[in-house]
Amino acid sequence: MEAIKNLLFRMADDELIYGHRMSEWTGMGPIMEEDIAFSSMAQDKIGHALANYSILEKEFQTANPDKLAFFRKENELMNCQLVELSNHEYDFSLVRHFLFDHADFIRYEMLSTSSFAPLAQLSKKIKGELKYHVLHADTWLTRLGNATEESHARMQSALNELWNYALGIFEPSDFEAELIAEKIFDGEKVLQQKWMEKISPIIEKANLKIPSSSAPVYGGRKGYHTDQLQPLLTEMAEVISSEAEGTEW
Amino acid sequence: MYGGGYIQEEKQEATSPIDDAQKLAEFEARIDRGEKIEPHDWMPADYRKQLIRMIEQHAHSEVIGALPEGTWITRAPGFRRKLALIAKVQDEIGHAHLLYSAAETLGKSREQMINDLLTGKSKYSNVFNYPAKTWADVTVIGFLIDAGAIVNQVANSKGSYGPYCRALERICYEESFHLKQGHDAFITLATGTKAQHDMLQDALNRWWKPIMHFHGPPDKISEHTAKLMRWKVKMATNDDMRNQFLDMYVPKILEIGITIPDPNLKKNEATGQWEFSDPDWDEFKRVINGDGPCNAERLAVRQYVEEHGKWVRTAMMNPNQKVVIPFA
Amino acid sequence: MSKIPLNTPVLDPRIKRVDLESTYGTTAIGENEHWISWEVFHQKKRGDQHVHVGIVHAPDAQLALLFAKEQFGRRLACVNLWVTKSSDIFSFSYDDEDIFDNATAPEKQYREASGFRVMEKINRYKKSKQKA
Ligand SMILES: [Fe+2]
Ligand SMILES: [Fe+2]
Repeated sequence: MEAIKNLLFRMADDELIYGHRMSEWTGMGPIMEEDIAFSSMAQDKIGHALANYSILEKEFQTANPDKLAFFRKENELMNCQLVELSNHEYDFSLVRHFLFDHADFIRYEMLSTSSFAPLAQLSKKIKGELKYHVLHADTWLTRLGNATEESHARMQSALNELWNYALGIFEPSDFEAELIAEKIFDGEKVLQQKWMEKISPIIEKANLKIPSSSAPVYGGRKGYHTDQLQPLLTEMAEVISSEAEGTEW
Repeated sequence: MYGGGYIQEEKQEATSPIDDAQKLAEFEARIDRGEKIEPHDWMPADYRKQLIRMIEQHAHSEVIGALPEGTWITRAPGFRRKLALIAKVQDEIGHAHLLYSAAETLGKSREQMINDLLTGKSKYSNVFNYPAKTWADVTVIGFLIDAGAIVNQVANSKGSYGPYCRALERICYEESFHLKQGHDAFITLATGTKAQHDMLQDALNRWWKPIMHFHGPPDKISEHTAKLMRWKVKMATNDDMRNQFLDMYVPKILEIGITIPDPNLKKNEATGQWEFSDPDWDEFKRVINGDGPCNAERLAVRQYVEEHGKWVRTAMMNPNQKVVIPFA
Repeated sequence: MSKIPLNTPVLDPRIKRVDLESTYGTTAIGENEHWISWEVFHQKKRGDQHVHVGIVHAPDAQLALLFAKEQFGRRLACVNLWVTKSSDIFSFSYDDEDIFDNATAPEKQYREASGFRVMEKINRYKKSKQKA
């Protein structure tokens, strides 16, 4: 039970924070068509966070989704650090999108056969959305990787900067063995392998190189975060926490 | 037959000084019959010019209008409001897209239009030069600014230019959601805690003047206006639209215990016209000419966005592609 | 140089984060920087026709499809989209609208079901039989 809860929190917190980062592009994208695309994905991600918090509330009698999302402290959040980094330029946001969304897609694909029914159901429900996120990411990565010297250099340096954070997605939890034994989730290690297999040829097609040395940035899953998370959390809580909990807005 | 050669042809016509009398008569007769004008049709140069100006300004207003609300997305309280707000602001960018596309069919490129926005040559709705200071401002914008826009857009959707009408039809459909989510959030604050109520009252007090400015200064019925109305470019006078807005929304504000900061606001039942204090048209002029609280910031943000998006756009340019006016 | 003087301090956290002061304020969009336009055709459900719904700007067909999905498939029921370059669309001129004029004219009733009064003839026959 703690194992499932832990998994749900990790997923929900990732999606919550990442969705907020994506939402910051609304109205500020490089071209209107693409602006609209990022807003859609932001809605999807925040929607997935809501779905996971709702499972927590329903199955494990936790607090309601608004409370889980907007009233927890920084060290209670279990998102990986990759998703909390500020958006920087579009190259940075696109490469993060590529790295995170492939992991997200595969994670839900693995969960589609989970023994924990609510997650298996959710996985089926959002399959199409995730498929689109990955398609969007691949399309941009392969184009900008191959377009101009500048765009190639930008994408490569974003990939270099983000790679170790991306490996942090797969920071193992204390419950890996239990999740695997109970057939809830095949674990971060398997996920990471599948992810590497999936993204490597696409990165190659984009004429980019995976950094040769790697040192995964762990800690996020245990509540250790960069200094970029707290300011965002403060914003997220600003209005909703200005009145007593449970006040309607 | 028209294919890719369209851009040249229409550009010449747009600058042609002679509006053939018979063509003009046919054009006006078509409008009188309630038929739409389509992009490839002959049209008076002034009709084209005024439409471009109007649709372009409308598009700019959607883009700039996305800013005051967009900056509240991370702060929006709770999942429901947040998701609705992202979708709403996203729609506004979508509206800009639809409107720029409609204006493009008249022969001005999207690039030119955005440049004219950036240099200040082309205007956008004045209300977006005011700051959104609190969450209550977001609800005032979502409810009342969108309501004002709907009055305007519903009128214009019955205009004579096909592509603009088609864009507006879709826009109005989405606006009904904007209005509803804004109204819902507005009522929630009005009927919520004392702090929420006060925050809303304060926001409305600050926004009332810009709201009264929204439909533009009082009409002096000039020959110009008459012509634009005859051509169904302008579908209602500024005063008519403002009056319609007040008719529909003043009761909705008052019914939930919010007051309007104008002691002289009342409807003259005999004339059907609303009477109100002078909303300070000098301020309106000052702000439109660049001296509002947020003009510089709004344009600076757009500049920043265009600067930082440029590498993405130029990386994907293909000089071998043939650029033509869309058929939208 | 401080590039754009602001009248009032920036209130918005998102805008504060983007370092507006670094903006030169002289960017111009080059011609064709927004790429070419594509006409979008939307199919609401299987069995329906694809219907023209508008355009998107995109550098290639794949991105045009992605953008079309966003602008025309995100809010409405949709099972499929087509895109084609605007430059590949050919059309009649509205000046030639009159070539379609008589498509539904009364003179062309001979090709409408309503142009044939079968019941009248049957009834006439039946009446004549009754009399006989
Ligand atoms: Fe709009
Ligand atoms: Fe709106």
